[in-house]
Amino acid sequence: MTAPLDGRVAVVTGAGQGVGRGIALALASAGADVVIAARRAETGEPVAAEVRARGTRGICIETDVTRRADIEAMVERTVAELGRLDVMVHNAIKPPSPHRVESVDLAQWEELSTVGVWGSLWCARTAYPHLRAGGHGRLILLTSPSGIEGSAGLPLYGPVKAAQRAMAKSLAREWGPDGITVNCVAPVAVTPALDKAFAEQPGLRARVEARTPLRRLGDPERDIGGVAVFLASDAAGFVTGQTIVCDGGSFTGL
Amino acid sequence: MVTGQDQPVGAGLARAVAAEGATVTTDVGPGIDALVHAAVEPLALEACRLADVDDERWWTVWEGTMRTTLALLQAVHPHLRGRAGRVVLVTPTLSMAGAPDLVPWTTALEGQRLLARSAARQWGADGITVNCVAPSAELLGVDVGELALAPPALGRAGDPETDLGPIVAWLCSTKSHFLTGVTLCADGGSWMGL
Repeated sequence: MTAPLDGRVAVVTGAGQGVGRGIALALASAGADVVIAARRAETGEPVAAEVRARGTRGICIETDVTRRADIEAMVERTVAELGRLDVMVHNAIKPPSPHRVESVDLAQWEELSTVGVWGSLWCARTAYPHLRAGGHGRLILLTSPSGIEGSAGLPLYGPVKAAQRAMAKSLAREWGPDGITVNCVAPVAVTPALDKAFAEQPGLRARVEARTPLRRLGDPERDIGGVAVFLASDAAGFVTGQTIVCDGGSFTGL
Repeated sequence: MVTGQDQPVGAGLARAVAAEGATVTTDVGPGIDALVHAAVEPLALEACRLADVDDERWWTVWEGTMRTTLALLQAVHPHLRGRAGRVVLVTPTLSMAGAPDLVPWTTALEGQRLLARSAARQWGADGITVNCVAPSAELLGVDVGELALAPPALGRAGDPETDLGPIVAWLCSTKSHFLTGVTLCADGGSWMGL
């Protein structure tokens, strides 16, 4: 039996760790060749090796998503080495520190906006001709429940994540005639950033789990990667412009 | 304070809140009770395929819209706190459905809408409410008919002063004090989605 993503080529940004790594490994297990677009080869190369261990092609391409030229070079090399590009997953994010609307400085805004929104723009624009050429292109943007309900602690994070959802909706309409789907995944999963917060704030993990209907946090590969595989596959060929919230049931506002 | 008074929506809203007894200004300063941010970057309204959106256009529409909105919020906050301050952002319903060839604008609109929610969450303790009102994009000259929205149930896109104005005036008044972080869709009943 063929795997759902046999013969497809995927790029995952921020794939050196956390949710990005989980998605990359899930895509590989589903048969896709995967480019690990990581800021540092030290973190990206081991994930590329994990991809190869699952029997598909995996390469690490050092990519700083705050630089357009890096993204363009990464996509060019992807197509040169793997022959095509079917699935672009923009997952990279710079975890913000708590701030206030009235006093936050532009540096904090710039970091969030560049990685999240400019990164999405550059990934989308650069991947577009290849997504169109392949016949079943997929653009998947990682967003967050805070991009829907707002965040009291991270007020500038939500707008960036909401902007990515809007981009997905509009692009879904614009690229529909090209057979490309554009969707968002809004996860809550165990990541290095969250682990750090748990280490700093005793009891936080238990509190988050207690208010999550499924009483646990998401596993990057099984819980979030599985949804990414679905969106990347032909099974989701009629789903576009949507956000799938994968957070154990906490947010039900959509 | 009403921004965008040189544009149709801002002009109509300024007349409407003035008719309800407010003194209307274009500048931030002491004595301001409410900010109505209706100004729109003109380039945002231009249709352009994403493949043809260069970084300069993206900067003007996305960064321009977001930085202006954040700067306005930061400028009015000291004047609004502790005196039932009101913020109203004007964000057309178009972005809720998504619109082809208008990716930069719709992206910025949802950014603004979420920034309103974030500010609402943080500034509730200051007695400030932050909401959005969402008119039809037709009020800004964008032909919604060819995009993603249903025709308005009320049969027309509406007039900034007489249709949108009373809603914005109410949001600026003390009577709306228990409403914050929401978007009131006032596009004549085109968008009724989530």
